[in-house]
Amino acid sequence: MIFAGIDAGSRTVKAVLFDADGMKIIGSGIKDQGVRQSDLADSLLNDVIAKAGKSRKDICRVVATGYGRNSIELADTTITEITCHACGVSHWMPEARTVVDIGGQDSKVLRLEVGGRVRDFVMNDRCAAGTGRFLEVVASRLGVRLGDLGEMSVRSDKAAAISSMCVVFAETEIIGLMASGETPENIVAGVQMSITSRISSMAGRDIVEPVIFTGGVALIPGMDKALEKAIDRKVVISREPQLTGALGAAILAARNADGI
Amino acid sequence: MNLDPAQITLVEWGRRFGELKQSGLPEPSYGGPLERHLLDGDFRLAKLKFDNSQAALNLWNFLLTEEDRLYADRLVGRKIIGTMKDLGTIPVMAYSLPDVTAFYPDGTWWAPCVMELSSGVLAVADSLGLDESFCPVRAMLGAFVSKAHFPNPDLLVCSVGATCDDFSAIAQRLNGIGYPILWWEILHRRKPESGDVPVQLPGGFQCTADQVLFVENELLRVKKAIESLAGVAITNDKLTDGIRAANEVRAILRELRRMVFTADVCPLPALEMLVAEMLVIHFCSDRKESVIVLSGLLAEVRRRILLGRGLFGSDAVRVFWVNPVADLRVMNLLEECGGRICGTDYLFCHAFDAIPEDVEPMKALAMMALADPMVGSAGDRSQRICNDIKYFGAEAVVISRIPGASHCATEGPIIADTVREQLGLPVVEIEVPPLADAMLPALNTRLTALIETVKAGRIQV
Ligand code: SF4
Repeated sequence: MIFAGIDAGSRTVKAVLFDADGMKIIGSGIKDQGVRQSDLADSLLNDVIAKAGKSRKDICRVVATGYGRNSIELADTTITEITCHACGVSHWMPEARTVVDIGGQDSKVLRLEVGGRVRDFVMNDRCAAGTGRFLEVVASRLGVRLGDLGEMSVRSDKAAAISSMCVVFAETEIIGLMASGETPENIVAGVQMSITSRISSMAGRDIVEPVIFTGGVALIPGMDKALEKAIDRKVVISREPQLTGALGAAILAARNADGI
Repeated sequence: MNLDPAQITLVEWGRRFGELKQSGLPEPSYGGPLERHLLDGDFRLAKLKFDNSQAALNLWNFLLTEEDRLYADRLVGRKIIGTMKDLGTIPVMAYSLPDVTAFYPDGTWWAPCVMELSSGVLAVADSLGLDESFCPVRAMLGAFVSKAHFPNPDLLVCSVGATCDDFSAIAQRLNGIGYPILWWEILHRRKPESGDVPVQLPGGFQCTADQVLFVENELLRVKKAIESLAGVAITNDKLTDGIRAANEVRAILRELRRMVFTADVCPLPALEMLVAEMLVIHFCSDRKESVIVLSGLLAEVRRRILLGRGLFGSDAVRVFWVNPVADLRVMNLLEECGGRICGTDYLFCHAFDAIPEDVEPMKALAMMALADPMVGSAGDRSQRICNDIKYFGAEAVVISRIPGASHCATEGPIIADTVREQLGLPVVEIEVPPLADAMLPALNTRLTALIETVKAGRIQV
């Protein structure tokens, strides 16, 4: 039987088709977010289904997650991204005990029980300083593409110190750093450290390994190292970090146990 | 006319009120349709969901007519005392005299929510230098200046010392713009050391006999001021009677909390419980009527439990809630997300404890003031919270940070860590501003995730 998960995030919509009998992903896709989220999710799911050689009637159940989950009309039910990320990560890494998810506009740290159940979580959805949004700001300020930031940070010889706790003020600080001749590479590395130190203070002391890094920001080179340094733990990037939420949603659709 | 328990909107209450009227609803003097409060500017009511019982109607009408009662008291010459930063000490003393009314100016902190910012009290506070970096209780300052929410009290009393910095700053500003305040000092509660005479306080805390004596002397100054205002002595007998009457209110509320929080199916929603609990602080300016209102609510809860009726189903997740929310809508939201309230610490849980009746009455009040969780360490408060969580059998904890409140940033993590370490329960911290509309989706995600976490645990156990 085939189930679908849709993760309507702040930047992108992700869809996963999950074969519950084979316990594997049979299709997935990602699209940039837009105004008509529900239509976007609809067409994305259709594309993914077509590519997988299936039809809509093959899909038994659809679960939506992510901040836009409640506007996805085709979903049979919704489950929060907290539960879905935990489930998606545990599918690939059942031994995971901590999940750090940094998305475009929010970030979260999940503490998992053995077996993948969420024990507790903390979340930042109010301040851009601990999210991918900070990277967008620095990319635009430096006039480079978001995708280039990772390579730049790897070339850094010393991360610049960014002391502001707020992205708006940090932007002013970045302008100052540029004016004083700091290299863009060091500025990018400094922003990465700034984001991960916010994550570290949000997570507190109780960080149990293995720590799995997920969310779109995990794909940016250097972020995992910055996170390791900030939390003083080894960090493993999840398989398909952008898809863990949608995968979790699809698996939970299959479990069908009261939405859990 | 006893319907099944349900939450209904203001409009639905309008229809229900008509039906109740037709069936011969006995109404108190402050009764009437709930919708009429919209005309007073209480716009938030249109976005809340209310319990559909007559007892709840009385509760809301009682709450929302406090201003009328205060102005009526002024007209008949009763002395009015504003008791600030005081969660249940001076009002007990004040209500020991027949012609004195005590009220709680700090309660205006809900005005920006209930009136959806239309009252402008926060803007006045801003203009006086107390912006959103302070606790929303700064709304009180705007209320004094605008003179729109309560009559100018004959006496203003405020505790200071081991209270929060926010309130001290706000009250000092009030003092500075021409409102005389009688300050009384509350000490930081400390555990007895060798050489100290220990005193066991309600709530399981301890302090020293010297501390009790100090606070008792402070309260004696307030007592004298009230006596001179009223022209009547507060004798020990009168005060003992006042304490007994206050204990009657506390006993009803303790039982209400026990029944509501421990029932299999929730018999009363979170919002009505919040309003009911608030009555313990200062009796909503009418102690006798508060007993009637709360007894009515308790009777309704008992009736529902006996009939096996309730709200939200038996699988609703049992949540302990720490700190009051500035936006009442969030209490509805918890239930929409699949939770129910099973235990609270809205910063005044000591006010539900019985005031000792086996010691001198002034000493008893001093002991109660020192039993306030907020005048001790955050560790003390966390421990009391853990004890209450165990007593009520909660499955998860929400710590609601108050934006700008100086204590929240430090004590939230301490409470969360203590709960996790001692009880292993999931905890979520949220922050609720006076109007949380724009944040409701984010709050919904956190609360729903908490509910999912508990439910997932139930399945695996
Ligand atoms: S809510 Fe907290 S910060 Fe505000 S007045 Fe009360 S104790 Fe002080």
